Amino acid sequence: MPGLLADEDGNDVRNRYKPDAVKGDMDSVRTEVLEFYSNLGTKIVDESHDQDTTDLHKCIAFIRDFTPDLDKSNLCILVAGALGGRFDHEVGNINVLYRFSTMRIILLSDDCLIHLLPRTHHHEIHIQSSVEGPHCGLVPIGTPSGSTTTTGLQWDLNDTEMKFGGLISTSNIVKGDKITVQSDSDLLWTISIKKV
Amino acid sequence: MDLMRHSSAFLLPSIPDDGPPPTYALVVLNQRLPRFTPLVWKHAQLRLCADGGANRVYDEMPGLLADEDGNDVRNRYKPDAVKGDMDSVRTEVLEFYSNLGTKIVDESHDQDTTDLHKCIAFIRDFTPDLDKSNLCILVAGALGGRFDHEVGNINVLYRFSTMRIILLSDDCLIHLLPRTHHHEIHIQSSVEGPHCGLVPIGTPSGSTTTTGLQWDLNDTEMKFGGLISTSNIVKGDKITVQSDSDLLWTISIKKV
Repeated sequence: MPGLLADEDGNDVRNRYKPDAVKGDMDSVRTEVLEFYSNLGTKIVDESHDQDTTDLHKCIAFIRDFTPDLDKSNLCILVAGALGGRFDHEVGNINVLYRFSTMRIILLSDDCLIHLLPRTHHHEIHIQSSVEGPHCGLVPIGTPSGSTTTTGLQWDLNDTEMKFGGLISTSNIVKGDKITVQSDSDLLWTISIKKV
Repeated sequence: MDLMRHSSAFLLPSIPDDGPPPTYALVVLNQRLPRFTPLVWKHAQLRLCADGGANRVYDEMPGLLADEDGNDVRNRYKPDAVKGDMDSVRTEVLEFYSNLGTKIVDESHDQDTTDLHKCIAFIRDFTPDLDKSNLCILVAGALGGRFDHEVGNINVLYRFSTMRIILLSDDCLIHLLPRTHHHEIHIQSSVEGPHCGLVPIGTPSGSTTTTGLQWDLNDTEMKFGGLISTSNIVKGDKITVQSDSDLLWTISIKKV
């Protein structure tokens, strides 16, 4: 965090950017880091006994179940560092979107974001073109889609079938500031994030 | 059901002498080159750059062979062809390789398939001199970056499901385990593992059975929204997998 705010004093940054909690199986966090944040009042929640779920899954469940002071009426969970690196980690993170499909969760990397478009709804995606796009895609991960219809894309889908081994909407382009999507299947929406 | 054997021998300094070695073809995509690119380049009989992958070879190969003279590296690590829609490769890079004899195959008219798809089709259809009886295509720079690119690359594995294609990054590799075969994966533990996973990316799997993993599957169902085998661990030097569904196998690559 100090490097991302290079104009500011490093120690000051560390004290201000204090997580509310550190949670997971604790096999990666350094002891001195845990102590530093613990001394500042950060809650440390050790879940090393639970090897059946990923650290992200534990965090989402924690937010859902153990944060009474958080207004959840319109909650959106942003996940930084969710993509790249080991593919099995990335896929585990994507699976968390499916396992908590009634919650808004957005996976973020330097290059792009991903979130779920549940088949239970039709979707309007408002494009913030100063910071995202134009490259985008729709991905039927986990199960084929018999029918998807979109508006606002360079290559719109029109009751189109999508599946691995056949057509998947990748390297698409957003044309305007609103995309609509309706599908018989849960889809992943992905859009590039601009490097400014 | 026939057996299909898999091995990451191409990550070893020299291919072991235990049976006829595969013919390797290398495709370089437009991402930062994995640090083992010079090694797989050496093992390959055919080297293709997909569009901006040529920039990567030109810019980054000298850095991966820092003990050697940069110009010498550029001249030696010359792709056999640069192919794709040519919207990323720099003009001077294209000229440099063209002057060295690299074939330039401009497919900018074809916007329906990805650069990787074009390269795989090229290898399959337009390389009469390449022995394809035991061909394995290695794709460097296939993962990370934009997610839609990554997914497009994974989809190429499914679209060419009868060909052996391995997607590579610095961190891991991915390849398809077609449901038409049962699989033996020989683990080269000096260069790969122990972290691994099995992913039913396109369609749920009603039944998968494995041996050799820390958390083996036993006629287990796998699907997105439910169980997927991630953060698994290889226990020995041989994994077996049998499934009713096409699965992606992924294993971490060691940083030595």
